[in-house]
Amino acid sequence: MDFRRIEIIFLIVFVSLDVFLLLSFRNSQQIVTSSSTNTSTVSEMRKRDISFGKLDTKSGSAYYLGSKPNDALVNNVGKLRDQEFQYDESSHKLTSSLNTPITVTKDNRVKKINEFIKKESNVLFGTQYKYSPQQSTSSQIVFSQTDKDLGEVYDKTAQLTFTVNDDKVTGYTQTYIHDLMILHEKEATKSEKDIIINLYANSEISNNSKITYANLAYAKLLEAKGSTIYIPVWFVTIQNRDSKVNSLKKVNAFTGNVIKSSTTGEDYSE
Amino acid sequence: MKFSRLIVQILLVFAVITSVVLSYFIWTNTARYQRGRNVDVTTTESDKNKIPINQVISPTQVIWHDGTDQRLIYNNEENISFSVQNVMNDWKFDRVTRVFKKDGAKYQKTIQKHNAIQLVYPTAITVRTLGYLLNSSTLKHSTDYSFNRIIINLNDKTDKNIYLANDSNYAVYKVSVRDAAAEPILKLAKKANIDLKVRLNLMKHGVFTFYTEPIKMRTYSYVIDEKQDREYTTALFDSNSDDLVTSQDGDVYTYNYSETKRLISDHDKGELTFYDYTDTSVPKNRLAFYQRGYNKAVNLQSSVSNLRLYDADWNDKDLVFREYVEGFPIFKKSQFGSIKISFSRNGTTEHFLNKVLEVPVPSSNSETTLKSTTSILKGLDKAGYSVNDIQDIQAGYQWESESENQNVVDLTPTYYIKIDNHWRPYQDWTNESAEEG
Repeated sequence: MDFRRIEIIFLIVFVSLDVFLLLSFRNSQQIVTSSSTNTSTVSEMRKRDISFGKLDTKSGSAYYLGSKPNDALVNNVGKLRDQEFQYDESSHKLTSSLNTPITVTKDNRVKKINEFIKKESNVLFGTQYKYSPQQSTSSQIVFSQTDKDLGEVYDKTAQLTFTVNDDKVTGYTQTYIHDLMILHEKEATKSEKDIIINLYANSEISNNSKITYANLAYAKLLEAKGSTIYIPVWFVTIQNRDSKVNSLKKVNAFTGNVIKSSTTGEDYSE
Repeated sequence: MKFSRLIVQILLVFAVITSVVLSYFIWTNTARYQRGRNVDVTTTESDKNKIPINQVISPTQVIWHDGTDQRLIYNNEENISFSVQNVMNDWKFDRVTRVFKKDGAKYQKTIQKHNAIQLVYPTAITVRTLGYLLNSSTLKHSTDYSFNRIIINLNDKTDKNIYLANDSNYAVYKVSVRDAAAEPILKLAKKANIDLKVRLNLMKHGVFTFYTEPIKMRTYSYVIDEKQDREYTTALFDSNSDDLVTSQDGDVYTYNYSETKRLISDHDKGELTFYDYTDTSVPKNRLAFYQRGYNKAVNLQSSVSNLRLYDADWNDKDLVFREYVEGFPIFKKSQFGSIKISFSRNGTTEHFLNKVLEVPVPSSNSETTLKSTTSILKGLDKAGYSVNDIQDIQAGYQWESESENQNVVDLTPTYYIKIDNHWRPYQDWTNESAEEG
């Protein structure tokens, strides 16, 4: 009789031990699977009234690019019509004023200029430039040079800028890269989500703001041996919802480091 | 009465067995779970900006036999070796079996196999390490054979295996693969824009890659980053610099941190040595050896992704890392490559250089043509070094600082030859140029 009681006590002890073991086993497995910190950062940002669309988590790849200064613009100025121009030999910049200004409105200005630059007698290599809303202002319409394989270059050395005065486009300045060289095999770049989280972690995104635009483009890193070196940079436009002021943030797409305009001395948006 | 007692007994036996089984699972699983977590912690700690381990421990040469010729291929816009490894990530591997060992004739045939692509590591790694890099649990638990070549058959209809080959003992291992196709690999090979005819020859000191014709190689320039001692002391001592004891003897500066860590910096040579007397554990297996070496190396250098594991000596517990450009190693003035890490019971030692490649810049010279390997060997023979003296021969890049521009370094191609355990460029051994013509 006693032995039977012992058996029952043992049974109860072992069953409860099993339950305990099963629970701790499941616990240990759950910890392994729940370790994503990124999602929590994103929800924290939403709590602080920072709004943004769906963030792309895919990381791409890009190159180190190099270019040497060239005189392709001045060598082809003979093709231009109905404008007066000056060429600065040290900065390789073409400044042109149009004989007949183009009348534009706020809504049609991009469309009109886009048509204008298609013609070689209006703008040299015009088909290689693409409208860049992030760099444009109400008085300037900025186009950036775009390579069909490598993408856009946001830099003073590859820019076409139209000046708008009283709804009239009076002229433009242009710089041009003749030959982009790939200097190093392609490397992985950070995804849109990575860099937004980095910006937030570096206190670059204030509360109650909206991320309106994020774009990956090549930008100047440095000059060495008479060449300009470009790296991929994420350009992120952040709008403060109260003041409606836009600010443009730059992040090195290879490293994810925030590029501070003051430290590099470079202002990509000019 | 008796029947219910039988039930109780059966249940009891059942409960005991369940608890034993569950305990077993928890024991093995927590071990795995903790190990997994450790790996995770080290990768997140060593932050996302560092070069991933599968780029540091990676094959550097890709050799393609298209049926008529064997050629070293490279694509200077996309690293073929990384891309092939990405393709292999999706493959399913089965257990590894040995085909043969210590058979030179068969070995030569295997590495000269037609219609195959081989990935060549600068130094031997092991099957479990490959399993870790490709995330294959079968390989992770397989016998830990060493190998330095992965041979992928491009006629995958007839032979569904890949072969692992080890130059040091002429052994070949077979791994059967599932869910794999050669097509994407062939596609990558066809995109190559550098293409050099080679012949793999079995020599006294190993397998040498012979360039059968003069080879054209590009010249490169890089902006370099010269780091100050301070940057290393903050990274290596994990403490504020107040506790550092500094002494100076000529150009040699010594920094001590409470008798447990020491950094010696030779400002004249630009070489540094770091001793950590607290790190006295020696890696117990090859995978841990590579992982710990990798973590230490990327802690010292994390710029452009050029760093590769170059040499691993498991007996002495030494690892050497070198920078590569387009599949060719860069030789600096030091004898230890770029970074050398040694583990021992007395602590770890790290030798390294304070100048690292940072940003590639367009080079002023475009191309150099080097002699074929056969004429290089003839030149060495004339200078009094017989083929059997030569421990290794490699086409590589020489690091030359520009006199007018201290921040830029030129990488010029030449042959490097190892004799008596010393790497020197061809012109130093023979007083002749390695360039053709």
